[in-house]
Amino acid sequence: MDDSNDASDLALMARVAQGDETAFRILSRRHVPAMLGLARRILGNAADAEDVAQEAMLRVWTHAPRWQPLAAFRTWLTRIVVNLCLDRKRRAAWVDLDEVGEIADPAPDAGEAVEQNERDGMVQRAIGQLPARQRTAIVLTYGDGMSNAEVAEVMGTTVSAVETLLVRAKQNLRRVLGDTAEEA
Amino acid sequence: MTNNQRPDFLDAALKRVAAPREADDAAIARVLGRLRPPLPRQKVAFWRWPAVLLDWQFTPSWSRMAALACSALLGFYIGIAGLDRSLDQLDQTTTVASNADGGFFVFDPEPLSGARP
Repeated sequence: MDDSNDASDLALMARVAQGDETAFRILSRRHVPAMLGLARRILGNAADAEDVAQEAMLRVWTHAPRWQPLAAFRTWLTRIVVNLCLDRKRRAAWVDLDEVGEIADPAPDAGEAVEQNERDGMVQRAIGQLPARQRTAIVLTYGDGMSNAEVAEVMGTTVSAVETLLVRAKQNLRRVLGDTAEEA
Repeated sequence: MTNNQRPDFLDAALKRVAAPREADDAAIARVLGRLRPPLPRQKVAFWRWPAVLLDWQFTPSWSRMAALACSALLGFYIGIAGLDRSLDQLDQTTTVASNADGGFFVFDPEPLSGARP
């Protein structure tokens, strides 16, 4: 059997469906970093993100024999991660994104960089106050660069619903950021 | 910050803030470490059930035991109740058979000869 790391996700999933643990390990090494990052951006909590990434990969393993390649593996996995994150957000309170730390900025001007970091911090806190589904739509659209159709597929909803989520998220962000700016 | 500047600022800030960052190597290693074998049992697809049931292995298997128990229960039910009536109608059948009126017709004297069977 081919243990190459270059094998496609589809080929690896076919092997995982047969109970091939080596293929599962390759698949995990390939996708865990991105899924961990996505979960962390949605949840705002590193420990929960690790749990979600682990649970998502275990679901890939247990459901592999039933998996039908109707969509790309990455889309399916992203959907699992998003659903697990939304489930977790329903159960737990939001942990403030102040814990995440400063955001790296390549701008040469130090003063401008500090100002931009401050503004980004405000935006990050405002994103943290959004409802879970609006935050997920923002992360997938702006963070992962997904189209509205892709976000709709991942979130199990319609394109118009995604558009509504984005519009409402931006309205909420403008409202929160406006209040913060006025206070400052 | 003016209202005209805010949408551009917001879009740019959202792209920066929500952008994927390098994941922590230690966190990745921890997750991958937790995914080492033994892994949980995989869920078998429905269309593979016949193959599972027809797999003549004599090792204990919950799926085969459950199928055997279901078959035994179904066989018992059909044996008791029959295929054409349900279990709750069983009492009515017994009542008709033991009805006193039924005995009257059997032991009625012959109208012409008056003989009893």
